[in-house]
Amino acid sequence: MLSRATLLSGQSARALVAYSARTTGTSPANSQAAKSDDTATSLRPVRQEPGKVRMGFIPEEWFQFFYKKTGVTGPYTFAFTLSTYLISKEIYVMEHEYYSGLSLLIMWIVGVKKLGPKLAEALDKKVDEYESEWNESRVQEKQILNEQISDEQKAQWSMEGQTLLIDAKRENVALQLEANYRERLLSAYREVKKRLDYQVEKQNIERRIQQKNLVDWVVAKVRASITPDQEKQNINKCIADLAVLAQKA
Amino acid sequence: MGFGDYPAEYNPKIHGVYDPARYYGKPDTPFGQVKLGEIGSWFARRNKTPSAIAGAFSRAFWRWQHKYVQPKRSGIAPFFHVVFGSMAVFYMLNYGKIKHHRNYKYH
Repeated sequence: MLSRATLLSGQSARALVAYSARTTGTSPANSQAAKSDDTATSLRPVRQEPGKVRMGFIPEEWFQFFYKKTGVTGPYTFAFTLSTYLISKEIYVMEHEYYSGLSLLIMWIVGVKKLGPKLAEALDKKVDEYESEWNESRVQEKQILNEQISDEQKAQWSMEGQTLLIDAKRENVALQLEANYRERLLSAYREVKKRLDYQVEKQNIERRIQQKNLVDWVVAKVRASITPDQEKQNINKCIADLAVLAQKA
Repeated sequence: MGFGDYPAEYNPKIHGVYDPARYYGKPDTPFGQVKLGEIGSWFARRNKTPSAIAGAFSRAFWRWQHKYVQPKRSGIAPFFHVVFGSMAVFYMLNYGKIKHHRNYKYH
């Protein structure tokens, strides 16, 4: 456990984080590639917005061409006068096709006004769907990459947490060592006390036995020194004492 | 320059992606800014070979395409351009026959 602690603690943990970050970083190669054909890509034509028109099809630029010289009504006046000239001189001949064209034009205008907005709406929807379909993979890829980045940051964060954990574990180990040391200290004290108690007890016993033996020896010697005369005298003395005691009682 | 080749002046390293609506040669004064007295010399400077004329028409066609047909949300304008343009063209083609339908002798 201690060996793992040293592996993950402090600098080595940070180095691990740095290493894991480096394996996913590929930006230098990409930026190099992007720089080389920068000029060509900047000239890539961009899709235009649809040109502005009036009355459904006449380019706005034609009106602008007139606007500077004749004002707003100029182009309409020009168109009107030109058509009156062409019609009155019969350069434009109003034969049967002209009238069929007029009816067709009215039908077209009504159709465009009636169906146009709905059709435009439907087609715009299709366009959006088509575009989003093509974009979908890119959007998903982006989302996945973002998730990976957040995961990576989370991993780094948890790596930092790991160092905290290691500190706590170290403290724990120090506490365990301290407890162990104290326990051993206590056990050593107990052992020493036990031995000292033993010595005290042993000395006490030895002294008691010595005393006993001494007493026994003295008693034996005293016994041995008592003669039969002395014994007789002693008994007589005792009887006399008893007699005295009896009289008193 | 054979069929299907890019214009001789086109260089992908300088111009980037090929744009069929763009003129890659040396630009002259735009026709709209030419003064009336200079029209003769302006027209004399033009390249009048068939391939150059076809290229001019092609560029015009592609300009029209990019402006009205290719945009993402193009309207009905290009259809009407084709309709009215073809009306004018066929009117001119058939003008010899239409002429006989005139109603008045004197104008």
